[in-house]
Amino acid sequence: MAAQESGARILIVDDEPQIRKLLKVTLQAHQYEIYEAASGEEGVLQASLVHPDLIVLDLGLPGIPGMEVLSRIRDWSATPVIVLTAKDREEDKIAALDSGADDYVTKPFSMGELVARIRVALRHAAKSVNEPVLLFGELSIDLAQRIVELRGERIKLTPTEYELLKILASHAGKVVTQRQLLQQVWGSHHSETDSHYLRVYIGHLRKKLGEDSTRPKYLVTEPGIGYRFQARD
Amino acid sequence: MAQDKVMVCVSPSPYSRKLLRHGHEMAAGLRSEWIAVYVDSSHKAMKYGKEKQKELERNLRLAEELGAEVISVTGERIAEELLAAARERNVKHLVIGKPSRSRLSEWLPRTIVEQVIRSSDGINVYVIPGIAEKTSPKREGKPYRTPGNWRPYAAITALIAILTMVLRPFGLTFEPVNIALIYLFPVLLSAVYWGIRPAFYAAGLGVLAFDFFFIPPFLSFTVADLRYLVSFGVYLSVAGLTASLAARLKQQLEYSKQREAHTASLYALSRQISAITDIHSLLDNVSCQISQTVGAPIAMYLPDEKNRLVLTHASTKLTEWEQSREEIVMADMAYEQGETVGRSTDTLREFPGCFMPLKTEERIYGVLAVKLAHGTEAFSAEQQRLLEALSGLAASAMARVKLAEEAKLAHLTAESERLRSAILDSVSHELRTPLATIIGSVTGLIEGERLFSSEDRMELLATIRDGALRMNRLVMNLLGMVQLESGMLRLQKRWCDVEDIIGVTLSQVKDYQQHRELSVHLTGPLPLILGDEILLEQVLVNVVSNSIKYSPDHSKIVLSANPKQDVLVISVSDQGIGIAESEQDRVFSKFYRSETSMHVPGTGLGLAICKGIVELHGGTISAKPNGTQGTVISITLPLPEQASLHTMPQEKEM
Repeated sequence: MAAQESGARILIVDDEPQIRKLLKVTLQAHQYEIYEAASGEEGVLQASLVHPDLIVLDLGLPGIPGMEVLSRIRDWSATPVIVLTAKDREEDKIAALDSGADDYVTKPFSMGELVARIRVALRHAAKSVNEPVLLFGELSIDLAQRIVELRGERIKLTPTEYELLKILASHAGKVVTQRQLLQQVWGSHHSETDSHYLRVYIGHLRKKLGEDSTRPKYLVTEPGIGYRFQARD
Repeated sequence: MAQDKVMVCVSPSPYSRKLLRHGHEMAAGLRSEWIAVYVDSSHKAMKYGKEKQKELERNLRLAEELGAEVISVTGERIAEELLAAARERNVKHLVIGKPSRSRLSEWLPRTIVEQVIRSSDGINVYVIPGIAEKTSPKREGKPYRTPGNWRPYAAITALIAILTMVLRPFGLTFEPVNIALIYLFPVLLSAVYWGIRPAFYAAGLGVLAFDFFFIPPFLSFTVADLRYLVSFGVYLSVAGLTASLAARLKQQLEYSKQREAHTASLYALSRQISAITDIHSLLDNVSCQISQTVGAPIAMYLPDEKNRLVLTHASTKLTEWEQSREEIVMADMAYEQGETVGRSTDTLREFPGCFMPLKTEERIYGVLAVKLAHGTEAFSAEQQRLLEALSGLAASAMARVKLAEEAKLAHLTAESERLRSAILDSVSHELRTPLATIIGSVTGLIEGERLFSSEDRMELLATIRDGALRMNRLVMNLLGMVQLESGMLRLQKRWCDVEDIIGVTLSQVKDYQQHRELSVHLTGPLPLILGDEILLEQVLVNVVSNSIKYSPDHSKIVLSANPKQDVLVISVSDQGIGIAESEQDRVFSKFYRSETSMHVPGTGLGLAICKGIVELHGGTISAKPNGTQGTVISITLPLPEQASLHTMPQEKEM
């Protein structure tokens, strides 16, 4: 295994020394090994030198922008990347996620949130083989036989509902953008009306999973971005 | 004393110039205002020929140049009118000319002088003997008579001839006195239709015909009975009196018609002016109106931002006003000097246009130019005064519009000033309070590391977190407001599930709802709406946060959403302190904080942002009392036509 959950090497690319310092201190306390880069260029260079297990990348960098850094890293590396963004830059978040970022954290963020995201991303990266059965408390999804069970009882889903659930659950804990969902379920020819369908299917799915749509347990909405399957540790 | 005004009586006579200079000197000596008065009676106007009228106008212009206020008196009893005008204006010194006796035409004015002196108690009357100034123009011309007016005389002759022929056969059976009365008829007729001279002619002709045909011996001018001479005398005087009365009546009628036309145009203009608030349409109207009234094309020059005059309005096409340099120069001159220049003034009087400043007492707003073709007559005093009145009206209208604009600007400035101070108060308070708690807690933790128990430390850290979160909210709200105000906020309209938005809202407020019981009431499945999910979530978070903020712990907060016809109604009701009825609208204006909520920290921005966002979505937001306690905030959002969507493909369950 390339990366342990603790002791993993994390590269922080951010131009604000205050933020770098904060991240360094707190993440070191969580037993991670920290490398820093103060600019995009340095970030790309460091990424190739230290081969980090995960990169925390600020999208609002001076010089070459964060998005450019992301795509240069993605050219040769599948290292998980968590982007840091400001709240009002929804488009940036979606663009970053759609071009290969693994997750995002909005500034100002709570440390707990960031550490949870880092854990999920590292775990996914570590997972090399697909497990045939996904287990989330009372919910089990048998990917080989396409069977979904809640509290031991089988739930009947339509093919689209099943596809949606499968994609979200296999990225459990990570955000999946609407576009990614549409592309994976409806193919590249999806249209505007499909995003309407997506809402409806998620609604149906929540109902079948016995969820209160205003207090969902599994399928959490990331407003403006997409959905996240809540993995309960 | 300034009240001791001087009044000078002006006539067409060249002597009047002397009177004017005298009056001017007198007023200067007394340091008082002075007035030039002229008699504008129909009686006189008829008597003045064209030449005299011009003389009068020249004299009046001189009076204006010397700084006199020019007024006119009308009416038959000139002396009384003069004195009444003088008393009305607080005049203490009256200057009047004493014409030479040789002129028969000025017989009447002499008696006026005497009348004035006789009834002038309280007013000093200065009678200046009449000696013409050297600059006196040529002698008065022939009595006013236009060529080709022989027709009335021919008509009168014919009329009397016919009358005589009709009367002749049975004339002798009548009393001659009755016949004489019948002969008064043509006199009256001609007085009414043609004026006084034809009337006198009719009287003379009538008396001759009467004598020749009806007084023995017949067909002779000799009179047998001398008593008939008395009859002739009576006839002539009656005819003369009737004729002059009728003619005067006619004159007055025409005069009052003209006056009425002027008054009507002034009235029409003033009515238009008071109705219009936009300065350009006002000036378009004014220029048309003035042009119609004076019968000449006019134009208006207004100063631009750099205070340079620009031709902005014209009664005819702008191209007809050759925009020559000369005209601009003339307009500039009028604008800078504040006085009329060009035709019928003493400055550049040969120029074919007349340029009048549009001025009120405080300032000059522009220049009114009247174009007169070469060779046309200058304005009469009457027209001049009308023009002045019209331009005065235009100027005061402009003043009114300008003042209204300035008042509006002042109001706006005051409003923005108020807003700015509200922003400063709000921001400085809302930033300083959390900063104080953060700095205080942090320095406490750093300096007294070992003093605190781990519980104390947690408490201080929680204070720091809350302070920082509060500052974050403030920054978010300010940014949101700026985006809304600047119009930078663009909606990313997508299909949204309101249940989802409610869900996200609930998870957002979870951290600070404490023990308040948040429940959701939905009536069946909700239709999807088209909107910006993030902004709508912000609206709901703001509203629910307010409910939490202003209601006691352990109270109930209910979120509900129902489709109603073509809108979706989302309401949030709480059992908090409520909103007074008078404030139900104002709570949505920015930086407004209710008196009752001053103890709760806040910026007064949250609901204003909500309102902005909801209105961008074409919806409404309103506040109402929740029964006896608390508030209900209702948000309506338009529902898109669901028919525009394709029906969902049906799928079989696995």
